[in-house]
Amino acid sequence: MDQQILNAIFIGSIYALFAVGYTLVFGVLDILNLAHSAVFMLGAAVTYSLVVNHGQPFWIACILGVAASALMGLVIEHVCLRPLRRRRAPPIAALISTIGLALIIVAAIEQGQPGSFFAWLWVDGANSVAFPAGTFPNPIWHVGDMTLEASKVAIIPISIALMLVLGYVIRYTQVGRGLRAVAENPRAAQLMGIDVDRMISLTLVISSALGGLAGILFGVALGDISPYIGRDNVEVRGLAVIVLGGMGSIPGAVIGGYLLGMIEVFALVVLGSNARGGVAFAALFLMLVLRPQGLFGAQLRERI
Amino acid sequence: MKRFNVVCWLVAALLVAACGSTSGGGSTGNSYSGKTIKLGAILSITGAGSVYGPQSWNGMALAVKQINSSGGVNGAQIALTKNDDASDKAQSAQVAQTLIQQEQDMALLGPTLSNSAVAVHPLAESLKTPILAVSTTGINIVPDCNFPSSTPCKYVFRDSLGEETAIPDNIKSYAADSHPKTGVLLVAQDDKFSSDGGTIVQNTVGQYNIQLLKTIKFNKAEADLSPYVTQAVQLKPDVIFITSLGGIPAKIMTIARTQGWTGQFLGGNGFNTATVSKQAGADGTGARSASAWYLGNTFASNADFVSAYKAEYNSDPDQFGAQGYTAIKILADAAKRANLTFTDLAGDRDKLRAAMETVNIQTPLGPFQFTSNHDVKQTVWVIAMDGQGGFKLVHQINAS
Repeated sequence: MDQQILNAIFIGSIYALFAVGYTLVFGVLDILNLAHSAVFMLGAAVTYSLVVNHGQPFWIACILGVAASALMGLVIEHVCLRPLRRRRAPPIAALISTIGLALIIVAAIEQGQPGSFFAWLWVDGANSVAFPAGTFPNPIWHVGDMTLEASKVAIIPISIALMLVLGYVIRYTQVGRGLRAVAENPRAAQLMGIDVDRMISLTLVISSALGGLAGILFGVALGDISPYIGRDNVEVRGLAVIVLGGMGSIPGAVIGGYLLGMIEVFALVVLGSNARGGVAFAALFLMLVLRPQGLFGAQLRERI
Repeated sequence: MKRFNVVCWLVAALLVAACGSTSGGGSTGNSYSGKTIKLGAILSITGAGSVYGPQSWNGMALAVKQINSSGGVNGAQIALTKNDDASDKAQSAQVAQTLIQQEQDMALLGPTLSNSAVAVHPLAESLKTPILAVSTTGINIVPDCNFPSSTPCKYVFRDSLGEETAIPDNIKSYAADSHPKTGVLLVAQDDKFSSDGGTIVQNTVGQYNIQLLKTIKFNKAEADLSPYVTQAVQLKPDVIFITSLGGIPAKIMTIARTQGWTGQFLGGNGFNTATVSKQAGADGTGARSASAWYLGNTFASNADFVSAYKAEYNSDPDQFGAQGYTAIKILADAAKRANLTFTDLAGDRDKLRAAMETVNIQTPLGPFQFTSNHDVKQTVWVIAMDGQGGFKLVHQINAS
């Protein structure tokens, strides 16, 4: 059981980190950025490729992986969101355009074979790969019946620290006040002299950097990097997390992430593996029926 | 005079018949000269099955190149097209329909995944077009392609070793070697190949006095398999059976070894690519499966294939490459003996189908024939991961 609690906390941390980026964009723009799962995958894929195919040190590769994800955030804003915002397109249009970009990113990575156009970015096609042993220090400790891997344990402080920093930036800094103003009322924020486009770009950059970092941690801890890790493993769960926590709420996304991790693992232990996915989404359904605004929905008017 | 006329007619008739049988035997070697045998391969080049599809294609393309450059099939060139089904069942069926009806291909190969085959094979059967599966190993592929109808399908064949043969052979050989008492099954429940494999494990273990302590089902899209593996490891089984695809078996092995479990991994065709062995690394050492093919076999038909493949692609082939290569050799051998007309497509497809039933050739897989059910009849190679991305041969089980 103890090992299962650890399993829940590890995966909950990744859900939380992924969902924080998701919910940040929703909080500011009122739209779901469905390319977030592709950015998650891109962070992991770029880092892996830099280490294995380009011989870069792991820590440098991590920084560049996060930078590539942040850059993709800018692409999302300039290609998928801003042109539509200029035309006052409904939110569904942005939803579709971000899905389109996600498909393109996944397809580009999937086509990466030796000798192909995308070989500089990825050479393993649709295969799932893992960082070679020794890429980063990963001691394993056995405490009682529990097995603790450094690569998994590290996720917890990294996730919590990042989320605290983000919370601080949004609540107490000039930039954070700008973001909150844009989230509250973009037009009023513009009249007050805030550069709304810049704030939105910044939101996408922060959100995507967090998403990319979540992808790297996922790849490091679970030994699974493929073009599909975002789409298959975290996309729908990320949505579930932000609904559980309250759409647009950062503390909600954090608590929701850990909650979903716990629900999934306990459903498996108590009810068996057939029930696991069902129970997690039954909890989501109950939340929608009983408290549609989510756990932290009371703060709905004052998002992020 | 009347008798003389009858004798003349008889002699003439015999001569005509003799000529006919000569060309029918195909021994002239140029009776198809200037013709083209159109074949279509439906493969998962993109999507989840793209771990396997490109390997199959490489094997097929190599065989076509070799055959065409050495005079073709009785003089006819093989024209093989590569058609991606994106690992999607509906797209696979659409592609098959186009190839059969618009492109008028003589026969099809594929599709890569069993999941797609359940849509494509009944279609080929209803349109009376031979189709040769090269990587589908699930249950109800041959002969009952129209499952649950049990009427045998006439046009569907496979050269891939079904899990119904591979998994029991593997369990049998390990039980004889090590007499395990208990096992846990980890099975991906959301694809046909994996869930069929799980059913076969459940149906087989009892015969060898292995008690299945628990069957743990998961979905391929699980973010983290640790909770499932923890559950298996905590039961302390002698064996963990894994029936799943892609990188999942390797992930399970790594998690179980990290959690301190030291027992034996047994699996099915999902283990049989170098990719999986490489990903599992040292954690996969000794993991056993039954395979249709073994890289290290030194008999001529395999050694020639391996060296030609390396020369062509600068890498080792895998099981899927060997099965793709074998498929083209099978179709070429059948076409050679089928006395094709190239004017009556429906008739030619039927002749090809009939000739495929009597194939008996040497291939990289070993001596190859079809059973009366159109399934593969070949030697089975029990292999174990070597911990360095490759495999070593443990047992050889000859076709009975």
